[in-house]
Amino acid sequence: MFSLSINGQTQQVDVPADMPLLWVLRDVLGMTGTKFGCGIAQCGACTVHLGGAAVRSCLLPVSGIGDQPIVTIEAVGDSPTGAKVQHAWLDKEVVQCGYCQSGQIMSATALLNQTPKPTDADIDSAMSGNICRCGTYVRIREAIHAAASA
Amino acid sequence: MLRGLLLASTLLLAIPLAARADDSIVGKGEYLVRAADCVSCHTVPGGHLFAGGRAFVLPGMGTLYSSNITPDPKTGIGGYNDDDWVRMLWTGVARGGKHLYPAMPYASYTKLSRDDALAIKAYLFTLKPIEYTPPANAMKFPFNQRWGMVAWNLINVSDKRFEPDTTKSAAWNRGAYLVEALGHCGECHTPRNFMQALKSDKAYAGAKQQGWLAYNISGDKNAGIGGWTDAQLAEYLSTGKAPGRGPASGPMAEAVEYSLRYLTKDDVAAMVTYLRDRPAQPDGPPAVPATVAAAAAPDPMGAHLFNQACAGCHLPTGAGRQSPWAALGGAHTAGDVTGTNLVQVLAHGTQIETDQGLMFMHSFTGGYTDRELSFIANYTIGQMSGRQGQVTPQQIGAARGPDDHKPTDPPPQVVGMR
Repeated sequence: MFSLSINGQTQQVDVPADMPLLWVLRDVLGMTGTKFGCGIAQCGACTVHLGGAAVRSCLLPVSGIGDQPIVTIEAVGDSPTGAKVQHAWLDKEVVQCGYCQSGQIMSATALLNQTPKPTDADIDSAMSGNICRCGTYVRIREAIHAAASA
Repeated sequence: MLRGLLLASTLLLAIPLAARADDSIVGKGEYLVRAADCVSCHTVPGGHLFAGGRAFVLPGMGTLYSSNITPDPKTGIGGYNDDDWVRMLWTGVARGGKHLYPAMPYASYTKLSRDDALAIKAYLFTLKPIEYTPPANAMKFPFNQRWGMVAWNLINVSDKRFEPDTTKSAAWNRGAYLVEALGHCGECHTPRNFMQALKSDKAYAGAKQQGWLAYNISGDKNAGIGGWTDAQLAEYLSTGKAPGRGPASGPMAEAVEYSLRYLTKDDVAAMVTYLRDRPAQPDGPPAVPATVAAAAAPDPMGAHLFNQACAGCHLPTGAGRQSPWAALGGAHTAGDVTGTNLVQVLAHGTQIETDQGLMFMHSFTGGYTDRELSFIANYTIGQMSGRQGQVTPQQIGAARGPDDHKPTDPPPQVVGMR
């Protein structure tokens, strides 16, 4: 039995120690906002925040979490930065198919929490692990700048 | 009082059971088989455990295949009696008088006690017999003349059991037995002479093995492990990574996965005690200091490619995104300007099974050219150690497997457009 702090709430989950957090979120807790993409931490679709840092939940075993707080796409909009990012995403019409976008928003929010006024280079390096097959990168960059100055 | 009694009776119940499990010859043998890491060499990746057949390419000499050490009477070790078995481990002479090649580390196992040798046999005899004959060795003349090993053994194998040094602590002596006899660490980490025997005056100075550099693990502060703390060494041995020292990869990751992580805390601490006390050898690439000034003007192509290919798991800083096994800071591999192991990792990937699941990096030769990977390697060395990497595209090309998909560099004008 593991006790996880997810979006400010404590959740008890009875799962094997090596189950990745993504499975806990989607299959055990029914929180399907976080997406499965590649399963090998290469695409970023499953990004969540662990202790404020962007991590890939598909390769994060539940036993490695401890008491570090988890924030997912379902609650990222409750924080001031997350809300700014989501508004900028809507203003700039970033999304095309949308599958990667919850991960993109989680990575963008983590970036802005750490670097409130990022340069293009900061954005490119922080977002490089989040892949978008629709090619929305230009709008993602634009929206991050917009959120930074909002 | 009642609680104390209850506790005491629980302990009384628990201790004999636990002790029986540990003290049985098979239980002891299993631990020793792990400490000696038999499985690593005697298994083909993905094949039956202990059934042998793993190839060892000895440059200029030929290829050896490990033997089947399951108790199958025809193709394995089922026909060994105790004396045959002990003679094989101590002298390298197999049943029927056949001389083994010293790829089997009998020069180390000769230090094993008879009891331990027989416990190993007892455990191996509990395995499921697998009928499998590994491929025949393909050694060139004169190395295919096994009788040549008679002279080699006379010169290079002491045929002496481990003798404790009474001037040292019990932990030191236990560590010595684990390092020198069971763990056979020197078989990779000690350079060899022209006869392919270990150079005793260069013990643990580091050596190249199967394309990988087994680093200097002598007490030298600069090139060896003299700068590591006891806690770093113990964590590295039992988990395959240590904060500020980077992860184990390639063959060392295997040694941790199959062997070292199963050792008790006390045994790991004993190994640390003994390793600490190895005379300093100055050879090999210097260790990466704790604080590094990264290259002031990093190569933009290297930075660009690192961010694309590596930062997803390692972060742009190399600090590791979420796995301590992805933290590159202080890694010896990132401080070796020749990039020997870095090229291996990029070309072949690396993996290690841990208590937090499988940590792995895939090969990058499928999606990146030799030139691109040389940029990535030199950028990594520059950022993580502040040194100027010297990895060439030719090195990457040579490390590629023969069946590797080989991407081609874009035409120069496209590169120029960046």
